[in-house]
Amino acid sequence: MKRFGHIICGLAVMLMLIACHTDEEMAYSTDPVENIEALWQIIDTRYCYVEEKGIDWNAIHDEYVAKAGKLKRGDQVALFDLCASMLDSLRDGHVNLYSPFDRSYSTAWYDTYPANFSSSLQAQYLKDYRIAGSLYYCTIDHDSIGYVYYSSFSNSISAGNIAWVLSSFRDCKGLIIDVRNNGGGALTNAYLLSSPFFIEDKVIGYWNHKTGPGHHDFSELEELKSDASLTGSKWQRPVVVLSNRRCYSATNMFINIMRYADKALIVGGTTGGGGGMPLSYEIPCGWTVRFSSVRMYDAEKKDIEQGIEPDVLVNMVSTDKDDIIEKAIELINDETNWK
Amino acid sequence: MKRVIIVIGLLFCLVGGAAAEGVEHTNVLKVKFGWNYQLDTYLSPLAYDGMHIGIENEWWQPFRQDTRLGKTGQLAQWAHVGRLDLRGTRQFNSARSNLIYGLDITAGWGAFYTWQWCDKRLKVFLGPYLEANFGARELASNVNKPYSFDVAADVMAMSGVSWSFYGKKTSYRLNYQIRTNLIGFDFMPDYWQSYYELSEGVKGTARCSGHWNHHTIKHELALDMQFPHSTWRVGAAHQYINYGTKDLHFIHNEISIVVGCIWNYRIKANEKL
Repeated sequence: MKRFGHIICGLAVMLMLIACHTDEEMAYSTDPVENIEALWQIIDTRYCYVEEKGIDWNAIHDEYVAKAGKLKRGDQVALFDLCASMLDSLRDGHVNLYSPFDRSYSTAWYDTYPANFSSSLQAQYLKDYRIAGSLYYCTIDHDSIGYVYYSSFSNSISAGNIAWVLSSFRDCKGLIIDVRNNGGGALTNAYLLSSPFFIEDKVIGYWNHKTGPGHHDFSELEELKSDASLTGSKWQRPVVVLSNRRCYSATNMFINIMRYADKALIVGGTTGGGGGMPLSYEIPCGWTVRFSSVRMYDAEKKDIEQGIEPDVLVNMVSTDKDDIIEKAIELINDETNWK
Repeated sequence: MKRVIIVIGLLFCLVGGAAAEGVEHTNVLKVKFGWNYQLDTYLSPLAYDGMHIGIENEWWQPFRQDTRLGKTGQLAQWAHVGRLDLRGTRQFNSARSNLIYGLDITAGWGAFYTWQWCDKRLKVFLGPYLEANFGARELASNVNKPYSFDVAADVMAMSGVSWSFYGKKTSYRLNYQIRTNLIGFDFMPDYWQSYYELSEGVKGTARCSGHWNHHTIKHELALDMQFPHSTWRVGAAHQYINYGTKDLHFIHNEISIVVGCIWNYRIKANEKL
């Protein structure tokens, strides 16, 4: 029996030795320089707009590695602030750093633009409303126009919700969809909400993704089409989509889709962009970085990262009424716009 | 992708359908629990580790005769074995800031030839083994890329040795089994593809795999104990899988404690009245 014991012990040790083997990996580390280096590398190789941002990313590397070298090891807040500052140089709302104690974000893409939205002014129009899913809706202008407000594409909606909203506007001559200050969410909701305005699928854009670490390593462009089959109900009367600079990401894509719908106009301010679809990855200390990795274009193959200009540019100047909603009402009531 | 599903389906049919009538089967139902290490650079560059729990059913059956000892008392030299393994994992990164959940299913079947020495107490077997594996992992905190999949099918070499010995009231058998891949295929996802693009079709490379690009080793050391009314198995198992391309690298390494029970059964054939 003693001999068998030795055999068992020997084999168990062998198992443990093999099991403890680990191959190459990014090792866990809280060292500031290692984390800055890894973060810089992720953006350098995986972010899809390094060239378009017009910044010297190599110079950023040298600057921030030098700063990281001066940080105290273990000062996580200082390291976070340094990483966030480096990411902020990209001025991209899709670039964020997530740690257990904070999330970095950029406001550079909207903070120098007119707000073009006031919830108090909007409240003058959004009265006696109903809520279908996450769609707030009511009629305005003596019940002649339907008004829908959707605050986030992260909030769920369904084909049933849309059918109820459209059916309640059956006697209206036009529809306003207000997506101002909607920062985006699920792209699937953008396709769903745009579906009633298409009788057949149309090419509304293209996308391509990175295929390697080089700044120009991208796949071939692939077509993106609207999906008319997502909702049974259809709307073939005038529709005006309201936009401002805070329309970002999936909202930006929704507005891009609506540009190709029949009898649709975009009114308000230029959107914020965010055409790059974000992915995420981790750095050695376990924080997650989110960054744009898939580029999206409109049907003319123009990049929509920098935003989409409206068909009718309107900035809010009045203090007693919503100029953008008023302009939308005026456009719907003028039948010459829809011939 | 359809081919992969068909191959996996066929293997499952093979595993399930091989229970021939009138033949004595040896069945081992095992529960596994242990520690594992995971590197999946599709989801994260950081290594994750954690615990897993799984259940595995393994059956053994001779070719050509009713029992492994047969009517003449001679051990059947050719026999076959099938396995179905289901395992769930839960792993954290070293910072414990993110969590991966995984589910793996593996099915396999093999045939082997047995040699015996030392008054039939020492047995050595060797043979080919077919295995199909499907694994899914979720890193929920990842934006637009939260899932990763393993898909692989391999022809493996299987070998083992067992030594039987006897106590006063109990018989024992010490087993060691090992399997390693020879040739097969695996699927490597396109690292750069996003979740939304996946919905329009999974892109990646289904490639021929072997020791040059895909290492799999699975082995188990176990002690079978035959008591008067039941037979039990305790042991330790280890598996190591390592494969990748220039963009992606996958490592799975796990150690399990194994506890199982063993029984023999025979499926009765329909008899004409």
